[in-house]
Amino acid sequence: MTPADVLHPLSVASSLLHQTDGPFTRELLLEPSGFGLGQLPSRLQPDATTTSVCGFCSTGCNLTVHLKDGAAIGLSPATNYPVNLGMACPKGWEALRVLDAPDRATTPLMRSGRGRLERVSWETALSTFVTRMQNIQREHGPESVAWLGTGQIATEELAYLGALAKFGMGMIHGDGNTRQCMATAVVAYKQSFGFDAPPYTYKDFEESDVIVLVGANLCIAHPILWERVLHNRRQPKIVVIDPRRTETAMQASHHLALKPKSDLVLFYGLARLLIEKGWVDDEFIAQSTQGFDDFCRHVAPYTMDVVTERTGLTAAAIEEVAELIHQAERSSFWWTMGVNQSYEGVRTAQSLINLALMTGNIGRPGTGANSITGQCNAMGSRLFSNTTGLLGGRDFTDPQHRSEVAEILNIPIEKIPDRNSMSYHEILKGILEGRIKGLWVVATNPAHSWINQDQARDILGRLDFLVVQDMYHSTETAQMADLVLPAAGWGEKEGTFINSERRFGTIRKVARAPGEALADFSIFRAIAQAWGCGDMFREWTSPEAVFRIMQRLSAGRPCDFSGIDGYRQLDRDGGVQWPYSAEHAPDEQERRLFADGRFHHPDGKAKFLFEDPRPMPEPPNKDFPLLLLTGRGTAVQWHTQTRTGKSDVLRKLAPERIYVEVNPQDARALGIRPQDQVWVESRRGEIQAQVFITPTVAPGQVFIPMHYATANRLTDAVFDPYSKQPSYKACAVRLRRVG
Amino acid sequence: MPSLLPPPPPSSSPTMSLPMLVEELLREQQALSAVEQFSQYHATTTPAQERYYHSLLPSSPPGPGEQYAFEVDLDCCSGCKACVTACHSLNGLGESETFRDVGLLIGGTSSLPVLQHVTSACHHCVEPACQTVCPTLAYQKDAVTGIVKHLDDQCFGCQYCILACPYEVPQYNAKKGIVRKCDMCSSRLKAGEAPACVQACPHQAIAIRLVKTADVAADCEANSFLPGAPDPQLTLPTTNYKTAKSFPRNMLPVDYYAAHAAHAHPPLVAMLVLTQLSVGALWIRAALPLTGLPVVEHLEPLQAISALLFGLVALGAATLHLGRPHLAYRAVLGLRKSWLSREIVAFGVFAGLASLEAGRTWLQPQMLAAPDWLGWSVLVSGFVGVFCSVMIYHCTRRSTWIGPRTFLRFFGSTVWLGLSTTLLVAAIVAGLRADLSIGSVLHDLGAVLCPALMLVAALKLTYEACDLLHLLERQHTPLKRAANLLVGELAGMTAARFTLGVLGGLVFPAVLWHEASSSHSLEWMSTVVAVWLFSVAGETLERALFFMAAAAPRMPGGLKT
Repeated sequence: MTPADVLHPLSVASSLLHQTDGPFTRELLLEPSGFGLGQLPSRLQPDATTTSVCGFCSTGCNLTVHLKDGAAIGLSPATNYPVNLGMACPKGWEALRVLDAPDRATTPLMRSGRGRLERVSWETALSTFVTRMQNIQREHGPESVAWLGTGQIATEELAYLGALAKFGMGMIHGDGNTRQCMATAVVAYKQSFGFDAPPYTYKDFEESDVIVLVGANLCIAHPILWERVLHNRRQPKIVVIDPRRTETAMQASHHLALKPKSDLVLFYGLARLLIEKGWVDDEFIAQSTQGFDDFCRHVAPYTMDVVTERTGLTAAAIEEVAELIHQAERSSFWWTMGVNQSYEGVRTAQSLINLALMTGNIGRPGTGANSITGQCNAMGSRLFSNTTGLLGGRDFTDPQHRSEVAEILNIPIEKIPDRNSMSYHEILKGILEGRIKGLWVVATNPAHSWINQDQARDILGRLDFLVVQDMYHSTETAQMADLVLPAAGWGEKEGTFINSERRFGTIRKVARAPGEALADFSIFRAIAQAWGCGDMFREWTSPEAVFRIMQRLSAGRPCDFSGIDGYRQLDRDGGVQWPYSAEHAPDEQERRLFADGRFHHPDGKAKFLFEDPRPMPEPPNKDFPLLLLTGRGTAVQWHTQTRTGKSDVLRKLAPERIYVEVNPQDARALGIRPQDQVWVESRRGEIQAQVFITPTVAPGQVFIPMHYATANRLTDAVFDPYSKQPSYKACAVRLRRVG
Repeated sequence: MPSLLPPPPPSSSPTMSLPMLVEELLREQQALSAVEQFSQYHATTTPAQERYYHSLLPSSPPGPGEQYAFEVDLDCCSGCKACVTACHSLNGLGESETFRDVGLLIGGTSSLPVLQHVTSACHHCVEPACQTVCPTLAYQKDAVTGIVKHLDDQCFGCQYCILACPYEVPQYNAKKGIVRKCDMCSSRLKAGEAPACVQACPHQAIAIRLVKTADVAADCEANSFLPGAPDPQLTLPTTNYKTAKSFPRNMLPVDYYAAHAAHAHPPLVAMLVLTQLSVGALWIRAALPLTGLPVVEHLEPLQAISALLFGLVALGAATLHLGRPHLAYRAVLGLRKSWLSREIVAFGVFAGLASLEAGRTWLQPQMLAAPDWLGWSVLVSGFVGVFCSVMIYHCTRRSTWIGPRTFLRFFGSTVWLGLSTTLLVAAIVAGLRADLSIGSVLHDLGAVLCPALMLVAALKLTYEACDLLHLLERQHTPLKRAANLLVGELAGMTAARFTLGVLGGLVFPAVLWHEASSSHSLEWMSTVVAVWLFSVAGETLERALFFMAAAAPRMPGGLKT
């Protein structure tokens, strides 16, 4: 309708009757926008854009943030970024929505005499923090306070937290929620390669002939990595090894639905088969590895009979995989939580590393023994959280490493502890035993996520002083806190994340934090000052200043990234993978490690590491006849849902309440029908859930997604002896109908 | 070459006091620096994503007999749901508003289980039910592209399209009082850009293709749309779900057994019950002279007035149902095809005629022994109105609403409520007039009306109770799903409905029938009020259940817990 039409009385009358335009129509009307974004609604037209790496998972997708007057009004996946190639999963699309939730912590909160969390000023909060922590330390020694960190904050913040806590505040013990997802991969790589160095780049998904995915449901947990698999033009064979028929298993060419926790036996069996057939790369083994002969002896007993019996697989299926690996020019082995979250995860990860080493599938395009990480900055945490490893992938027990760090940071060497931190579960044990009295929890939610939750909550409840620093005051852990420090979230602060393929990417401040919430970085600055160690952190004034410090810490290390020219270059080059030193600054956007066959052990060789499988700690029996598996439910849910639960759309796309997947055969035997509510009971707890009867879980197994608060009331607190990672994925339960 | 050493001089003074530092940090926190430091001022207007979606769009516009359609490659849909969020974001939809959804089909055996995620949006049907039923002509099927567009400013929020669409596509936006839906991002398509969902699928599972409408019809004839989806014959949906796999025979949506009570639509319930009461009261009034009872002529004026009042309240209630009641007049536009338009017009005419009739009755009661043209036209318009109401629901072709299920309910209520209202009015008239005794009036009238009322009530309640027989069915049909709701989530309401129905339609009419003529007026009065109140309450609950237990057809959905 033109303005002239509007004035015409007939057209006014006709528009009263039949209105083809108006405010509602215009609200959804799309207009061309600049910035290469295509059409957008007029009220969402940006006047500038910037980019930021996503803050959910470790894929590290880059998002184009649409800005208006400096603030974000929308986002879309960045088209050219070498990770996500113009795509994002639903969590990324909704990343801004979760910022403006009503339960954001907007001021510090302190538990009052009446037992309620009440608002206090930052000054009060900081002085309370310092007074109580210092009092505890005075009374019980410096070790009596500890922290639990995260893989969800920027690397600069992780480094600040770790340095502040250990060098400034005198703590010895700190760990992160990365213990729950990546510890196994860290230890496996360190032992095998001599450094925690995931060797791959995502391009390897596209360049592989055989892609072996173990305990990894990419379609749901890493949808953008599945995108990369589908970009593979070599018609790859995709082998999924997973007890469940997952989305990824559905799409695979081969699905080996093995018995839970029989993976180590399977990979030893595969290794034996490859050796027996002579399908190994003798030259690579000789030049680049050590321990192969012992390994051969070790796998000798894993005959096909043993393996088929233990895994429940057919000999033909196993032989076919061996044949595929042999035939293929490039095989790659990928794993996620199905391997990591196990009581023998390190050896299982290493059994995959062994397969890659013995077949020479490493250092070339489309190969590798590749751990896909969980959280957006698990990799940053692995290098710089200063928890179980000293800054820059160093060792606290190595005097040389301590003196390097002391020199670079210009701090007295005595400030650096000469022993390793206790790991997560040892810290909790320390609380239980009264050795740890004060705990500082940063950007994680142990009261929901830690294994055997009732016990974990009981332990947290015993603390003299629990500080929780989080975006939301509503998390299960924040609700238990004595002091809540309100944190700005992703999108409200700056820094870098490191993704699964070792790529640094930047995050941007594109939204104003609510109320008095502060970036974790700023909170650490304020605490340093309040604690009285501000002087030690004189140079730590901004995330980018700390980035430079971290660069100095990395120089000469395997993770050297001293050649990066600040955030500008990260921005310009689509992120940069480590290593990237001043001396060696390659141009390629996608790089892998070990092309020269040299590893990080002093002799330059990778090690074959192995050990006999151990029995499952809690196998099903007569009383608890079913085996409980836990894991990711949908692509729209993240961890304990403290963030994804804040987006209306993401909430709408996920089942609202907890459910348990049950095989039809078990359901029939138990008299359970669709939509029934059941009690799921383990030796530790009993929860109510709705059944979801589906053949995608095998008979004798049930599956519960981890996103719902009660799931971990069932799980059994057992750990890998090397990585101390909890074994979330196998405990015995029983089911009965409610009512 | 970056400068790593030496460390830069400290920017903030180490001697800064803590309160000053906190103040500084809080100030810094609120400053947004991304624009100055990092923003990109691209001059480009070409969509950057074009390189990814180029192959997902048709190379030419639709020719005659063709239209645009979504094509979903099920073999690529992995269930990530990025399409839903991208559509939501790039189209600026409301907080929880989504034009797309992703469902899940499960089947196969334990040794070879099959799961299949299914993304779906509007199917831009060849015969869109939304368009057929819309009373304001707010839906347009584009003559060239075949895209079914909704004119948001034309919509007055009756939500009839939501009841009619088998795929739950139109979404009611309560804040705005209108319905909105997917338009295949028609303005993007026009500019050669891909719809948001097509742009955003990491696996390129969604494409826009040209389809021949004749082919769509032929495919729908073979019912080869998608396992677990509603019968494509209803609307001829154009989306093409393609797969190289063959699904096992037992593929079912994961929400197949999930049934939750639907919205009760209170204004619609009130409107339906009261229009039917009103029409029924006037019908009975017209039939009363056949009884030959002398009291009948005294009833006429109040009977007409009360019927009119209930009718007007009903129409008022109906407008409350509209999201934008001030545009109710637009309903006339759809007269040629929409039963909702016809219902509104029929009841409008009915109300007008009933007003005339009531006025005339009131002014000249003695002249109206037998119905004349006005009287007849009121009766006919009332019938047409109720018939239109029936057709509104019948036309949705939902199993729970089809044919006799709605017809018998609505006309049953009309007679039931007409009879009980007549009894009440008779009692009130007798009470108001000194020359009549309530006892004798009701005794005479009740002898005729009570058995009729009890017969109608018994038949209607029995008919409704027969719905529960579907519980015995082996297959989980929509009717069984509805019956499950009636005895499950809605059990309390169902029990109340039958209790009130038995009391108002059987027990109290029986009491009234056998009341001794010597009884006190108050006893007569309370019995007749009980008959009326229980009847109206019972029928209101029946109508609420009519909506709440209506098992709507739907696309395969996600797991509902």
